[in-house]
Amino acid sequence: MTRSVSAAAVEAVLFVAEKPVSRGELAKTIGAGAKAVSEALAELEEWYRGTGLRLQHEGDDWQIVTAPEMAPYVASYLGADRLRLSSAALETLAVVAYRQPVTRAEVESIRGVNCDQTIYTLMSRRLIEELGRREAPGSPFEYGTTWEFLECFGLTSLDALPSALSPEGVRSDDAVTTE
Amino acid sequence: MPVGPRPPDVSVAGFEGPLDLLLELVEEKKLDIFTVRLGELADDYLVRVRGMDRLPADEVSAFLYIASRLVLLKARSLLPSLTPASDDDEIDTEEELRLRLIEYATTKGRAEALGDRMRAGERAFHREGGTVDLPPKGGNPAALAAAWLKVLALTRRTEEEVEVPGERYSVEQRTAEIEALIAEQPAVTFATLLGDRPTLGYAIVTFIALLDLYRRLVVDITQDELFGEIRVERKVRRMEGLPE
Repeated sequence: MTRSVSAAAVEAVLFVAEKPVSRGELAKTIGAGAKAVSEALAELEEWYRGTGLRLQHEGDDWQIVTAPEMAPYVASYLGADRLRLSSAALETLAVVAYRQPVTRAEVESIRGVNCDQTIYTLMSRRLIEELGRREAPGSPFEYGTTWEFLECFGLTSLDALPSALSPEGVRSDDAVTTE
Repeated sequence: MPVGPRPPDVSVAGFEGPLDLLLELVEEKKLDIFTVRLGELADDYLVRVRGMDRLPADEVSAFLYIASRLVLLKARSLLPSLTPASDDDEIDTEEELRLRLIEYATTKGRAEALGDRMRAGERAFHREGGTVDLPPKGGNPAALAAAWLKVLALTRRTEEEVEVPGERYSVEQRTAEIEALIAEQPAVTFATLLGDRPTLGYAIVTFIALLDLYRRLVVDITQDELFGEIRVERKVRRMEGLPE
């Protein structure tokens, strides 16, 4: 299999990029249309299957990352520490990840406990971030997950969040009670 | 984001909060979360809550809130004639609580799945740094050119002066000169101190002399803008007559 010129160009640009690059920026950079870039990205994704690299994206921003299966080697090379979170922090992270954008009150309503500490922990680990303020009484902050979250959990995108976890027959998204 | 001491995560006796406790009871009794009469769990729930000591106040209220709901449900099932006093919303108490419980169970499942991924350690890494260092964008080429021309002019000037033989300056001498000058005039500019056509050596000696005077609190040095005029002023609060 040989790659198309645009797939090679996209790969080259993503290789030197220090941060995620948007599809639009890629199109402009390599002088191709949005459709060609999408095809190039799909081609690269296919190409990386079974290699040490893969593509990760959040929304429209793309980056080349290492394959999660290779994490032990890369971590050993980088001397990287393993991520450790308490089950309380994991619960809060789960609410934010699956329901973003979400306010602190909504997280607390779902978990039934005060979440100040866990939100603080997750923010200091850069797993979640403030997205902005909601247009609602009190203008509460809305939280969402970060690029680092995708990396730390080896997810290629938010679409890759583990699914089929809700009790059968219930769409959890309908079952929320918020203040 | 406020930073400061915060209370630690509260995790009591293996569960994370009032909903977690309720869910645990449902699971322990192998009940179906969709059909269980939640009121039947009231007694067990209260026993567990009583069994906890040293809960922070806001946690206690969260547990008591769920407990009171359960007791209400139980009371209603024992006395079917009991109608909600006035609050129409209370009709939905069981259904609402059930939905919250289901939502919480979902969240817990998701948290466990994320936890599995975390413990497996299969994470991705991106390339850190390693890119070519480029000069920052947005500089002004004209300003750079002007600065370079100044450097060239300075070099040329000193080259002309090289032919002037044997002129040497000492920092001590220059310091004394400036100190004498500043005693007469409260303020002078650095340009004045340099004179018309300074050699590089003269400029350096003058500058070092100034720094020395500044260090000894004889003068104040101010410069309003970058590359602007440097003003040398007699230090106002210098105490006359003290030994240096």
